[in-house]
Amino acid sequence: MKPDARSRCRGLLERLSRYVDGDLTARERRTVMAHLHRCPCCEQFAASLRRTVQACHEAGRRRLPSDVRARAQARIQALLAEKQRVEDIRLKRGTTSC
Amino acid sequence: MGDLNITVTKSPNANRPEQQPPDRQARPARDDHDYATLLRAAQSGNTQAMERLLMRAQEVAYRFSQMVCGHADDADDAMQEALLKTYRYASRIREPEAFRTWLYRTVKNACLIGRRRRVGQPAHLLSLDDMMPGLEGELHRIDVVDPRRRPDEQALNAALRRRLRQAFSALPPPYRLVVFLREMEGLSTRQVAQVAGISEANVKTRLHRARLFLRQELEKS
Repeated sequence: MKPDARSRCRGLLERLSRYVDGDLTARERRTVMAHLHRCPCCEQFAASLRRTVQACHEAGRRRLPSDVRARAQARIQALLAEKQRVEDIRLKRGTTSC
Repeated sequence: MGDLNITVTKSPNANRPEQQPPDRQARPARDDHDYATLLRAAQSGNTQAMERLLMRAQEVAYRFSQMVCGHADDADDAMQEALLKTYRYASRIREPEAFRTWLYRTVKNACLIGRRRRVGQPAHLLSLDDMMPGLEGELHRIDVVDPRRRPDEQALNAALRRRLRQAFSALPPPYRLVVFLREMEGLSTRQVAQVAGISEANVKTRLHRARLFLRQELEKS
C-alpha cells in the first residue's frame, strides 16, 4: 500500500466512530463512504466496528435478576410504608391538637 | 429532533456503508421524556409513578455497580443510596428533563464512594495504551431474556456477550464509564459529558478508543 493511501486509511479510522454515530457533516460522510467503497480493508473494519457498537447496545437491554428485583421492590415498599406511618402520626397529632 | 420511534436494532443491511446511520439522538430523547413524565407524576402525588421511578433508580444503580464498578458487593449499597436520594429529592427537582443526568451522577458518586473504601483500587485516570489486563474484578452475569430469539441465536449471542463482558471488564474505568453510559444506557454525548465531568470532545475520543479496543477483542476469536 502506498504511503498516501495508508494515511488516508488512518485518517478514516479517526472519523469512523463519528461516521457510525451519524455524527459527520454530509461532506465528511460522502468522503468516508467513497473511501469505504474503494478500500475493502476499511470497509471490513467499519463493519466490525458497527457489530461492536451493536453488541454494546444489546448488552444494555437487560433486566434485573429476579432476586435483585424482589429486594428492590421490598425496599420501595418499606420506604413508602414508613412515609405513610409518619404521615399518619402527623395527621393524628394534628387532629388531637384541634 | 428525529423520529422518536427509531430503534437501534440492526437491519440486514446495517454493515453497508451507503446506509444512513441510525439516529443516535432518538433513544436518549425518548428515555429522558419517560423519566420526566414519571417524575412529574410522582411530584403530583401519584404513588405508582413514584414506585416506578424508585425502581428505575435502583435498576440504574445496579447496572452501574455491576458494569462500571465491577463489584457485586457494592450493588446493594448503591441501590439503597439511589433509592433514598431519588425519594428525598424527587419533589425538589425543578427540571424534570435533567432528572436522568442527575440520577446517573448520583449513582456514579455512590459507586465512587464505595470504590474509595477499597484498598488497591485504581482511582486515577488510566490510558488505554498503558492498560494491563485484569485491572478490575470480573463482572457478574445479568439475566437476559429475549423469547423472540431462536436457541442457536441465543447461544451465539451468549458467547458474544461473554466475550464482550470480558473485553469490557478489561477497559480502564474512565473508558468503561463512557461506553456504559453512551452505548448501554443510551445517554447522549452531552449527558455523558455531564455525568463523567469531561468535555463532549473528550467523551467522543474515549468512546472511539474504547470501541476500537472492544472491536479488537471481539474480533480475536
